[in-house]
Amino acid sequence: MKPALSVIFFTVSSGAGLGLLVWLLIASLMGNHIRMDATTFYKGVALAALLITAGLISSTMHLANRKNAIYALSGFKTSWLSREGLLAVLLYPLAALHLAALHFGYPQVTPITLWLLVALSIAILFCTGMIYGCLRTVPRWNSWLTPAKYVLFGLMSGSVLLPAVLSLRPLEVGPIGKPMMAIFLLVAGLILYLTYLLKHPRNTHSINDALGFKQGNVRLLDAGHSHGTFLTNEFGFVLARDKARLLRWIAIVCAFVVPLLFCWFTKAFWSASIICLAGLLVERWLFFAEAEHVVRLYHGQQRV
Amino acid sequence: MKLGLAIDLDTCVGCHACAVACKEWNGESLMGGAPDYDAWGKAPTGTWYNRIRHFEIEGDPTYSPHRCGATSETGKHEPLSKTVNVPMSCMHCEEAHCVTVCPTGASYKRAEDGIVLVDPSRCMGCNYCAWACPYGARELDENKGVMKKCTLCVDRIYDEQLPEAERQPACVLACPAHARHFGDYDDPKSKVSVLATARGRQSMLDDLGYKPTNAYLSPRKPVEITTELPIKSGLTDKARAFVNRLIQL
Repeated sequence: MKPALSVIFFTVSSGAGLGLLVWLLIASLMGNHIRMDATTFYKGVALAALLITAGLISSTMHLANRKNAIYALSGFKTSWLSREGLLAVLLYPLAALHLAALHFGYPQVTPITLWLLVALSIAILFCTGMIYGCLRTVPRWNSWLTPAKYVLFGLMSGSVLLPAVLSLRPLEVGPIGKPMMAIFLLVAGLILYLTYLLKHPRNTHSINDALGFKQGNVRLLDAGHSHGTFLTNEFGFVLARDKARLLRWIAIVCAFVVPLLFCWFTKAFWSASIICLAGLLVERWLFFAEAEHVVRLYHGQQRV
Repeated sequence: MKLGLAIDLDTCVGCHACAVACKEWNGESLMGGAPDYDAWGKAPTGTWYNRIRHFEIEGDPTYSPHRCGATSETGKHEPLSKTVNVPMSCMHCEEAHCVTVCPTGASYKRAEDGIVLVDPSRCMGCNYCAWACPYGARELDENKGVMKKCTLCVDRIYDEQLPEAERQPACVLACPAHARHFGDYDDPKSKVSVLATARGRQSMLDDLGYKPTNAYLSPRKPVEITTELPIKSGLTDKARAFVNRLIQL
């Protein structure tokens, strides 16, 4: 699949923003343990809103006909893309309600809105993963690992951003302890990513399955077009194997290992966050670049 | 009704006339619009609803017309055997996943005849339906930013101003080899149903569960020609052979 930068940035940025929102909300409940003042909380919410909104705006760059984007909220009964969009739009009024309840002091309302926001954020991450995970035409995506990755990596990058936000606290609050949630999720993320690399489905369909000639060798004699088509442009992306291997290592080191070391040994949480997000961008680029659509079988590829 | 095409892989000669006729009819039509980009330039490309691909099947014992005289060792493929031309357009699938993934509701499958269409006034050009199509049937119109696909010439087949024989998709009318047939698969007596039953359908990624309506009729099995003469050994045959030998003495 063509790795579209607008979509890659959207999934990483919105994912991190939603993860940060989840952990900010949960941290705000743990006043005794995590001493987060209101200003820092609002700064964190502003950062999360910035990341989510930038991602959503970026996702519309992918559309060839943006003026009809409003209709995307209508297909939620069957379409994961529509569900994702609808829930993302619902996030804003709910967040506004929660902040208003906090500001005007309604302690009976805030727990409800808080847990609704947490559930909604995770649901959005899940829907984003299912946009790709539900496609039977891309066997490499069509597994439970895809939504699991989107949810876990979103929560993981958010949990690395949380101590970075907490480092904005006034000095008299004192130093930040070891961010155990970030460390735990980075390890879990690394395990999931390695599982994905080893276990995701591949070579599930052959050119024989595509044409129904089950025996013998089938090969493309002529694709019927002299230059590129929409299909070759959208689905024909090929990544050199050594380049893919290099990028995979960059993703593993930047998205998981370096942030883990930074979180364990140092207090450089902003650096950890930026390196983690950069690594996730590489991981997401690979996710698209390495995915193979079954239509490639009709263009002569032997296995997908 | 379940309208669709039956495409004969045996008789298709791969001339691309169906694709050209499709382009001609849909290029400017109300439902269609299949633009070309850089048509007279160095790298011409464009939006097509129908593309013909050519494949070579090597060593399939079912279809090898060269079996006669070929020494076939077990496990070894027989020599180069068959070329098939595969014109591919929308299959108007029964389980059209391209329709269910569409977030805007622009893609729809008509209840009355099963034709899958795109409403350009709702499509936002997200390409998601093209991702969900295993057969490469959907292509973006880059000028208008909306998804385009085979309409089964919905603007021809119901047009009562046309003579009845011409109320068929343009590709079917154009095919010089009569490899394309159009009809209703819900009617077991229709030409396409009869052909699909008699000849058998090629299974094309059936495990994905899209249930394509269009049928690709399997090539007929070639008649085996042996080099040995049939020798009959009944009593009358022996008598006849004896008489023949006597005459030739």
